[in-house]
Amino acid sequence: MKPFEYHKPQNKKNAIELAGKTTMYISGGTNLVDLMKKHIHEPDKLVDLTEAISSEITVEKNGARIGAMLSNTALAENENIKTDYPLLSKAILKGASPQIRNMASTGGNLLQRTRCPYFYDTTMPCNKRNPGSGCSAIKGFSRMSAVIGYSNHCVAVHPSDMCVALVALDAKVEILNTTGETEIIDFINFHRLPGDTPQKDNNLPEGAIITAIEIPRNSFNSNFEYLKIRDRESYAFALISVAAALVLSGNTIKDARLASGGVAHKPWRWSKAESFLKNKEATEENFRQAAEIAVADITPLKDNKFKAPMLTGAIQQALLNCLSNN
Amino acid sequence: MKINHSYSRRFFIKSSSAFAALAFIPLTVRSFFNEVKEKYFVKKQKIPLSVSINKKEYQLEVDTRTTLLDLLRENIGLTGTKKGCDHGQCGACTVHIDGDRNLSCLTLAVMLPGREITTIEGLADGDKLHPMQEAFIENDGFQCGYCTPGQIMSAVACVKEGHTGSVEEIKEYMSGNLCRCAAYNGITKSIQQIAT
Amino acid sequence: MDYFFDKPIANFATRRVEAEEKVTGKGKYSAEYDFPNLVHGVFVGSTIPSGKIVSLDLEEAKSIPGVIDIITHQNRPEVPGLKGDDAKFMFKLFHTDNIFFDDQPIALVLAETLEDATYAATFVKAEYSESNFNTNFHKTKDSQEPEDIMAEKGSLESWEKAEFIVDQEFKIAMEVHNPMEPHATIANWKDDELTLYDKSQNVYGVQSQVAKIFNIDPDKIRVISEFVGGGFGSGLLVWPNTIAAAMASKHLNRPVKIVLTRPQMFTNVGYRPESWQRFKIGADENGKFLGAFHQAKHATSSHTGHTDNITGLTRKHYSFPNIKTEQAQIQLNISKPTWMRGPGDASGAFAIESAVDELSEKLNMDPVDLRLKNLSKTDMYGKPWSTNYLNECLQIGAERINWKQNRKSIPGEIKEGNWNIGYGMAVGFWNAGRKDSDAAIEMKPDGSIVVRSAMTDIGTGTGTAMQNMAHTFLGLPKEKISIELGNSDLPYAPTQGGSWGLSSLSGGVAAACKSLKTKLADYAYGSKFIKGQGNLKLLKLDAKGIRMEDDSLEPVSYESIFSQNNIQVINIEESSSPGKEAEEYGFCSSAAHYVKVKVNQLTGDIKVLEMVSVADGGKIINNKAAANQIIGAAIGGIGMALMEEQKFDNNHGRLIGNDLAGYHFPCNADAPMIDVSFIDKPDYNRNPAGAKGLGEVGIIGCAAAITNAIYNATGKRMRDLPVTPDKILMA
Repeated sequence: MKPFEYHKPQNKKNAIELAGKTTMYISGGTNLVDLMKKHIHEPDKLVDLTEAISSEITVEKNGARIGAMLSNTALAENENIKTDYPLLSKAILKGASPQIRNMASTGGNLLQRTRCPYFYDTTMPCNKRNPGSGCSAIKGFSRMSAVIGYSNHCVAVHPSDMCVALVALDAKVEILNTTGETEIIDFINFHRLPGDTPQKDNNLPEGAIITAIEIPRNSFNSNFEYLKIRDRESYAFALISVAAALVLSGNTIKDARLASGGVAHKPWRWSKAESFLKNKEATEENFRQAAEIAVADITPLKDNKFKAPMLTGAIQQALLNCLSNN
Repeated sequence: MKINHSYSRRFFIKSSSAFAALAFIPLTVRSFFNEVKEKYFVKKQKIPLSVSINKKEYQLEVDTRTTLLDLLRENIGLTGTKKGCDHGQCGACTVHIDGDRNLSCLTLAVMLPGREITTIEGLADGDKLHPMQEAFIENDGFQCGYCTPGQIMSAVACVKEGHTGSVEEIKEYMSGNLCRCAAYNGITKSIQQIAT
Repeated sequence: MDYFFDKPIANFATRRVEAEEKVTGKGKYSAEYDFPNLVHGVFVGSTIPSGKIVSLDLEEAKSIPGVIDIITHQNRPEVPGLKGDDAKFMFKLFHTDNIFFDDQPIALVLAETLEDATYAATFVKAEYSESNFNTNFHKTKDSQEPEDIMAEKGSLESWEKAEFIVDQEFKIAMEVHNPMEPHATIANWKDDELTLYDKSQNVYGVQSQVAKIFNIDPDKIRVISEFVGGGFGSGLLVWPNTIAAAMASKHLNRPVKIVLTRPQMFTNVGYRPESWQRFKIGADENGKFLGAFHQAKHATSSHTGHTDNITGLTRKHYSFPNIKTEQAQIQLNISKPTWMRGPGDASGAFAIESAVDELSEKLNMDPVDLRLKNLSKTDMYGKPWSTNYLNECLQIGAERINWKQNRKSIPGEIKEGNWNIGYGMAVGFWNAGRKDSDAAIEMKPDGSIVVRSAMTDIGTGTGTAMQNMAHTFLGLPKEKISIELGNSDLPYAPTQGGSWGLSSLSGGVAAACKSLKTKLADYAYGSKFIKGQGNLKLLKLDAKGIRMEDDSLEPVSYESIFSQNNIQVINIEESSSPGKEAEEYGFCSSAAHYVKVKVNQLTGDIKVLEMVSVADGGKIINNKAAANQIIGAAIGGIGMALMEEQKFDNNHGRLIGNDLAGYHFPCNADAPMIDVSFIDKPDYNRNPAGAKGLGEVGIIGCAAAITNAIYNATGKRMRDLPVTPDKILMA
């Protein structure tokens, strides 16, 4: 690691005062320390947010509000979250390991960087790490890469499981910018597509801090599934993941949510497929058609053609599990 | 394959450095850069740290870069906590911080003031092994022993968290601790034994 | 063979002798010895796979506070065995500007702290002239024809037109040992003596190799590997970290520690090479095997060779009247491969056992019956097996998984929703070897003994087995027997590998125990015993003293033996060697593996639901540790079958994702509770303990058992390992 100054502000105001070009914030550290060890991030100033940011969680009639410093475990194991937003719990528990979930914060989870192996190998070209150097994955190993929303500058995917549930649940991100103003960003607009600036993972303004996540009240707590397909049963990133949730009236689908991880530079919502499902019967055939509508939009790369059938299958299986798993 | 010697050898420069760009900068610029670096680059910082490890208070001076894992292993001689990957990918470095399982390799020591750390060395009660340590011996929950301290710290936490309802649940909640010898039967049985 | 100790070894389900040190974290692995003044060394690896170093710029790296020195090929202290044409190491570490593989160590940064060394290493700058390179095994393998690896038996032509033929190609990805403990060395060179705390499976091997390289007397080198955090073959050879640490310690006159990073574990300490096989098998209408034609090619490094004998197994466990085996090694600009658990045979078994399964379907025969029909009665040289219980392994395993009832012969018949369930099986087989091995015993007047051997314990339970054997051979209570091992000051032991560790060691321990008994009898009874009143077999060591089991002589206490003879200590050291038994018999260990899997037809997800392994490892010395070995090997088989794969970026000639997030091996949730049982019958022709090896045979055949089960579930023949979910969907 490169040497750095360590600061631990006691409140948000003091934290943003420390913002600067070579400043980075740390909370759980599960990704940042890793990146600092690999010299991918080399802050001169490390600002420890663990005292400055709230880890409070409130679940009320209108929805849930989650302090950004709350650990992934505390969020997933929260009784109200398990009852009212079980999709979120399930997604979190499919990610990483118990130890990492204990350490990782809610805000930090949003800001974790891609696990594209080229991003982590500083000797190889990578536009996300070193803009302008090229993308090694497109012509190299692209099995884990994106199938939608990528550019010829970057094909990396966002690695979070939690964020897939949050995007499905129409969450909002509360941030504090460096001028001391609070802003709300819709979750679906928080992460961005790579375009020609893949170094930017999200739309968080420079120096700003995530302070809370809000989830509006919904009725997706009875018929939901988070399905993750990976090379190892646990403690592995997704090849494909699907967050699915239905509101049923009898066997009729009143509302549907479908989102995926492992497909794009951001957690991806399958809006067309969701619209298709609305007011349809919850049948295997309709699930199959919904999956096909989603998959029709993807363009796999050289090594990840399998993601088409896998995504088709995973969406169907996830929707089926919505009917039986819970 | 044979290297094709008739093929005209490409000659180009690659750098082994993470600071690859420096190699291309002319010397004059580099010396300027070095001066700038002297002025503005952060020098190694050591800061005081008081921390409780296995109920013992330590007053230390630590490099801001030092992880809890390296602090334990390289600075204060507690080598029971193991380094398997140093990047949060194996669980061998699992310790308890305020009673919860954490990865010491991804924990910066400077972030720890006021926290209670328990390592494998602090688990037994004097000469009396912790029941989980006994269970690991009895169920042969290890072979080479290198991941074992992490497994045991994780296992104790797994029981405390209550994730012991079934073999499948134990296995899922112990999957953050890799064991290449794959003594998973014994690890799982040890936890079942302590949980019931 | 001396049958003196032919009474069965008690099958102790015992605590491991080192258990407490392992569960408390007190056991010291090689990087964990404390030295004041310790220097931390960090390797800088090349970033090209082939070429030359044109220049190095160390200026910036040396300016980092805490840096002591940086060793490169330009300034290294000269080491005799690393220069010249007859270099005695795999490549001329820091004695050449040639680059043979990516991440080849080109510099060693030495600093006061690990943080300083690691940071400074990022400033070492190298310029290279890069040569054309090739790291692509599958694109290159056709450029070389395989050649006979052994003389052909019978002829290929005689059965090529047999009625029942299976002829298929198989691929296995590069696999990496990845023991949990990274390879590490602390070298301490004081005056003319070198101490190495080294992660190794072979302390004497390290001693002799390092002695050769530095051209010094082996007696001046002490190698300590008391606790070894796994090996699986990665600790059989000497690797750059050991040589570099020794070099640096001599250079600085300070102790130097090098711990490989996890990514360096993929490039510096070997791996199982990527391979291709073609296996052709023919049978008559009764299922009698007529012939086998086995071709194999595997990747190897261009700078130093390695052969995995992938086709060797074809001549072992089945009876083929005609056999042709051919191999080729494909040289690439990659680091050196080495033996990995079940070397050769684990790869070969995937092809053989998959093809036999396919053949059984063609023949419309049960695959268990087909195997039972074709088991070999002799070894490949025509010698009868001393013991071979593979047939029993097959039968017991079939019963334990209820094969006849559960397994449907038509694939895809058992379904649960979108999950298909299938059963599969395969067998493993391995030569049961034995090597020279010494052992020493020291006895104190209180009757306590220390049994000593240089053999390492990489997790197999060597020390516990030594204690069990000494206890059985002598009668002495176990709490009076302590163990020392893993140190080149101790009596000679061969490398712990090849499943011959315990087999070899039992000879040394038995010989030392016999010698101790003789000595005690002599001290206690003198000529009475020697004149034939005594029978050494009946002499028993109790907690307090010795006695004859038939009470033919008076019991004598240790106290009186020691005081009467005016001695403080009895020291015994004995050697042992395999005898002429190998001229008479073939020796083998074997196993049968049965698996139940489920495969999701929509997502390609695969889950191993049950795994039964039945092994013949001769007499089982420690049931728990032996079962643990088989469990570990079976789960290693799950890894090989379903997930283990190290990828190359062939555009850069560099490994990609070479860490424990990118390279998956099984976590706890990947494995069911493995059901293990043993034949547990001694083979006293092999050694006095009657034990045969178990380390390898547990993994051999597992991958095929799993892919055969996947076929049974889905009707898809998976011949390209690992079978990840994407391959199921694309098949």
